[in-house]
Amino acid sequence: MSSKINRHHYHHRFNAQIFPPPCPHLAEFRARNGSKPFRALQDCLRAKSPGGRAAIRRDPSEVPRCGACGESARPRLYACVACAAISCHAPPGPSHAAVHATSMPPGHEIAVDVDRAELFCCACRDQIYDRDFDAAVVLSQITTLNSATIQSTKPENLRKRRRVDYRPWSPDLRDRVLMESGSSPLDYGSDMPRGLRGLNNLGNTCFMNSVLQALLHTPPLRNYFLSDRHNRYYCKQKNGVTNTNADGKRNACTGDGNGEKNARLCLACDMDAMFSAVFSGDRRPYSPAKFLYSWWQHASNLASYEQQDAHEFFISMLDGIHEKVEKDLRKPHNQGHGDCCIAHRVFSGILRSDVMCMACGFTSTTYDPCVDISLDLESHHGGSAKSASTKTHHSCNGEADSINSGQNCGISTLMGCLDRFTRPERLGADQKFFCQQCQVRQESLKQMSIRKLPLVSCFHIKRFEHSSIRKMSRKIDRYLQFPFSLDMTPYLSSSILRSRFGNRIFPFDGDEPDASNEMSSEFELFAVVTHTGKLDAGHYVTYLRLSNQWYKCDDAWVTQVNENIVRAAQGYMIFYVQKMFYYKPSENQVAS
Amino acid sequence: MTHKRASVKRPPTPVADQVHAHSSQQLTLQEIINIKLIESGEKERLKELLRERLIECGWRDEMKALCRAFTRRKGRNNVTVDDLVHVITPKGRASVPDSVKAELLQSIRSFLASAI
Ligand SMILES: [Zn+2]
Ligand SMILES: [Zn+2]
Ligand SMILES: [Zn+2]
Ligand SMILES: [Zn+2]
Ligand SMILES: [Zn+2]
Ligand SMILES: [Zn+2]
Repeated sequence: MSSKINRHHYHHRFNAQIFPPPCPHLAEFRARNGSKPFRALQDCLRAKSPGGRAAIRRDPSEVPRCGACGESARPRLYACVACAAISCHAPPGPSHAAVHATSMPPGHEIAVDVDRAELFCCACRDQIYDRDFDAAVVLSQITTLNSATIQSTKPENLRKRRRVDYRPWSPDLRDRVLMESGSSPLDYGSDMPRGLRGLNNLGNTCFMNSVLQALLHTPPLRNYFLSDRHNRYYCKQKNGVTNTNADGKRNACTGDGNGEKNARLCLACDMDAMFSAVFSGDRRPYSPAKFLYSWWQHASNLASYEQQDAHEFFISMLDGIHEKVEKDLRKPHNQGHGDCCIAHRVFSGILRSDVMCMACGFTSTTYDPCVDISLDLESHHGGSAKSASTKTHHSCNGEADSINSGQNCGISTLMGCLDRFTRPERLGADQKFFCQQCQVRQESLKQMSIRKLPLVSCFHIKRFEHSSIRKMSRKIDRYLQFPFSLDMTPYLSSSILRSRFGNRIFPFDGDEPDASNEMSSEFELFAVVTHTGKLDAGHYVTYLRLSNQWYKCDDAWVTQVNENIVRAAQGYMIFYVQKMFYYKPSENQVAS
Repeated sequence: MTHKRASVKRPPTPVADQVHAHSSQQLTLQEIINIKLIESGEKERLKELLRERLIECGWRDEMKALCRAFTRRKGRNNVTVDDLVHVITPKGRASVPDSVKAELLQSIRSFLASAI
């Protein structure tokens, strides 16, 4: 604990809020009580269960009651931090806490809520915040019982394989001049926004077309390709040159056989070609045959590839782009570059998972990169309700129980799914984890949260259930409501930890809300991939939101639709982009 | 807890005695139940249940929105927690869904049946 009051502490940013300076009573109290003003309280801090909320009790079995009126049932009881007297506070009713503060000499204004372990000033009648106090509370919560420790692995140490550092790119002056001199504004003279072009169905390929339409209109991805950052001619040439250097012989440009075929396989190049075609102004439906061919070559290497599922396609194609770039990054001149491929810079976020031992409170924290979040539609009771796809491995926790018809509170919402995703979940006797502190398998509490938000959040709604036990699959046709604007703040690690520890100023285990998350927790919906019909005989259609107008992309057909149609649609993959990337007004402007 | 009696003109001890006398004689049934609820840890469990239900049904978000609106209207620096509690409490009490009340009542009943 720091010994001096550092003014900066009080202006600490917390979820985009700046704390007010301490009230004069707290400042006075701190000045009077030296380096450890809350030392006496520390022994009274008790968390009821491992990781439970902290409370103030002189001894564990104490039933706190107001010293003035004897009441123990009042919702708010405060212990004076100067003399430990407990007083009630029930405005507009009696407030013995306020009476205590005024009847005593100065110094008895500051009190602590006995059930919440939060500071209150009885003179100002307001909540107050103190960094040292909060640190003591959090410490007591973490170290309940056997002085458990939070052990965590920082994301950097855990997986070196995939870096997920975003470096948003915006053109500097030089870039801008180059772009303006080297390009001309797109001009269509039509009421349809640019880039809207149907994609021909090449034989049951609506699963691919639907995802491609979403990707073609994913703002940061579109910006990347349209600003020529992966040029297919350059990429091809560059790879050819490197091959020559590598073995000293020429075998790249005109060579044939397998070696050349693999060198040519670059999904990003095919994306580049597709972006050019789609944004060319030509409105006739486009056939993504070249892309399909390349992707097929990539995907045929995947063992457990399940055809016709749009989500599987999405995952495997991001991997395809990544693998190629990773190969390129191994080349000497690109090494040491922190960035990953464009697919991961756009879609990768980091999930945090805390598993806490129910016996001793020991918490193990891990961080995992993910490219989307898979959400359960049903409210399962007990069963694991979450999975996020990392790399090619896409966990599908099948054995979901039969539908519980008694769903709570009517309509399912995306926020409800996210709430469930981040809710602490008790892992029962059948899923015990090995506690490093107890040195045995214990029951545990698991909680997921989002450590780092991606630029684009893809939510995959698990509508297809595959039960390995019953050897069957089925589709859930349940309606899911999704908002057009989504605030992800409640699901961030900083918020989740804050609700676990209460309203505190404390850098939680490095998961302080960082500036990048603060700025970017607001998202806008821009694409919804829907699935209609049966499990294997269904059809995928994508709704796109451009210039705040909705368009339905059904293979070769693109039509304008009313937003109510979108709201009523059965979302299978729902795409949101950080608000700062969703340019509503600028979509209409023609660059000049 | 250390008592800094030197600086305290009227130490809290007599008050504590008074409470003691009070509690030994005239505890109402309600108070006894409350103490049993606290001592058994049931009160904490009930609170947790209530918290969860109120979040699920959107009550908490509704209250949050009300608090935000009030704070925005009054100006961030002119609102205390007590002000918020004062404005929100009547609305909050009135908008707890009946199903939540029923569930909680049922839980309290079964606790009483087992405890007394
Ligand atoms: Zn009182
Ligand atoms: Zn006092
Ligand atoms: Zn004050
Ligand atoms: Zn390429
Ligand atoms: Zn990558
Ligand atoms: Zn343990």
